[in-house]
Amino acid sequence: MNAAFWILAVITLMGALLAISLRNLVHCVLSLILFFLGVAGNYFLLRADFLGAVQILIYIGAVAVLILFAIMLTRNVTGTEGPRDMFGLGWWAGLITAALVAVAVWITLRSAPEAGVTSAGQAVGSVEAIGRELLTQWVVPLEVLGVLLTAALIGAVVIALEEVRRRR
Amino acid sequence: MSITLGQYLMLSGVLFAVGLCGALTRRNAIIVLMGIEIMFNAGILNLVAFWHFKHFTTITPLMFAIFAIAVAAAESAVGLALVIAIYRQYKSVDVQEMRALKG
Repeated sequence: MNAAFWILAVITLMGALLAISLRNLVHCVLSLILFFLGVAGNYFLLRADFLGAVQILIYIGAVAVLILFAIMLTRNVTGTEGPRDMFGLGWWAGLITAALVAVAVWITLRSAPEAGVTSAGQAVGSVEAIGRELLTQWVVPLEVLGVLLTAALIGAVVIALEEVRRRR
Repeated sequence: MSITLGQYLMLSGVLFAVGLCGALTRRNAIIVLMGIEIMFNAGILNLVAFWHFKHFTTITPLMFAIFAIAVAAAESAVGLALVIAIYRQYKSVDVQEMRALKG
């Protein structure tokens, strides 16, 4: 179990690091897919099987493809960014901020009494149980979520079509 | 030796920092959105880790994670539509050049 965690952690971290540091945008998205796969593997390791499947379907199947389409539609920026944005003032500011956040998390966790907890009981996260809960206790949030997704869909189409409408 | 909660919290903390670094340092708006996605995933991984190690017998934290993933998907769809609209306006997705509202 521990070896599986470390392998998945290295994959996830490597994917995230490459996704934000590579020059070619398409390579960035491929690294992001590696990152999403690592997170899905972590969900499987944590016995959240349904969540792992959802992660693969939504993030790799929808979000990554959506980002690829966005890169295609903004085509002449797929080239590399100039060297001037690396190691500039903003770059150092962002790096130092992220490092400070990491150090703050690290110090908080070192002193947390909860950090040594291992597992705590039997699994309840089966797909059957999740489906029953979603359609009984969580049915109102589920419907609200459906409305939100519809609104986001229509909003995204309206925003992306704005130019075409103005031209007529 | 089995996995502890602290390991997962460290992992998601480091992933959050990596995503924050990407969102703050890169100038391409699409990569900024990718950094935000990384931060979102780190947060949800944190939630699932707490579910696994602390509240394994109840299903509510898992529901929170599912709803958070759905909302994140809606957010990224709208965000990418905004990037495309901005590209049509400025012919660029460089966040340094979006300064129409700068005082």
